[in-house]
Amino acid sequence: MIAEQLARWREQDWRLIPPRPLAPAENLALDEVLTQRVGRGERPPTLRVWAWASRAVILGRFQSVRNEVNPDAAAAHGIDIVRRISGGGAMFVEPEGAITYSIYAPESFVQGLSFAESYEMFDRWVLDALGELGVNAWYQPLNDIASDGGKIGGAAQARRGGAVLHHTTMAYQMSTDLLGQVLRVGQEKLSDKGIRSADRRVGPLRQQTDMERDDIVHHLIGFFRARYGLTDDTVTPEEEAEMHRLVQEQFSTRDWTYFLP
Amino acid sequence: MGITGTREIVDMLHGEYKVPRGKLVVVDLDVVDERLYRVSLTGDFFLYPEEALAPMIAALEGAPAGLGGHEYCLRIARVVPPGTEMLGFSPCAIGIAVVRAQESQAHDR
Repeated sequence: MIAEQLARWREQDWRLIPPRPLAPAENLALDEVLTQRVGRGERPPTLRVWAWASRAVILGRFQSVRNEVNPDAAAAHGIDIVRRISGGGAMFVEPEGAITYSIYAPESFVQGLSFAESYEMFDRWVLDALGELGVNAWYQPLNDIASDGGKIGGAAQARRGGAVLHHTTMAYQMSTDLLGQVLRVGQEKLSDKGIRSADRRVGPLRQQTDMERDDIVHHLIGFFRARYGLTDDTVTPEEEAEMHRLVQEQFSTRDWTYFLP
Repeated sequence: MGITGTREIVDMLHGEYKVPRGKLVVVDLDVVDERLYRVSLTGDFFLYPEEALAPMIAALEGAPAGLGGHEYCLRIARVVPPGTEMLGFSPCAIGIAVVRAQESQAHDR
């Protein structure tokens, strides 16, 4: 990788928050809390690997619920509908179906980079780590991870208070039938995809690696640690309390989820 | 947050535009007395800072109906705060969705 980018990463004192199953609203609230903490210099730059306690549809910051979700199907299957703080598209996740991580960094980390360049830089290590597993993956601007076997995942960023949140979700295995019931995909959304029809395929990592989900997660963390350095860490009691407060006040509220109905 | 508030949009006019190799822009609005009202702007785009959405919606609220996409584009472009990053969409992409929303009226009624 480019030496200048490697230096950027290695200048930071990266911390790891390992996977712990959280409710969907808790996962989203924790992103807000940790982004703010890093922005205020109260926490070093951090990699958090997610785990999901339940199934959820996660809407992008600017999406309308009505346009993206079939609420009856979601309710029938006990699927939470939540909204995250970053833009981008809706995702349907299941506890063992996705691999998600967040990177929280000070804005100085992306200084001098365009937004598009920063998206790719944040996920560069994952592309290389997947390469070691035999998956030929590349970045498809703005925010998609593509591979020979199909689209693997996508990223989104939020910026606030002097910090950047970059989070990425990759498909491990897909319940395509359930996804089709719960998420709406309009004709207009697909209108320009004919010219790159190969990209419409999704290539979940289980299918491409034949590995257990936990083994892939372990490999990704080990790769990050070897390349950039990584110190084991946990969510502090203060951060935990703040997370619970934000779940109550924002992320589990109808006002937030349906603010764009 | 709280840019538009929670509200019912069942009967509103609806227009979508997928930017080639970019994101989806969705506009819902009402036309009353030849002007645009209750404009909502949603989609899977990225906008930094998030607060830049409000002035863009405000630029459309009360604007004359029946203009061309370029006219709406210019109205939006004028109010985008300096330093705003619009990723995967643009003022003119919004303008196209605004026109399509009004065309949905022509087709439906």
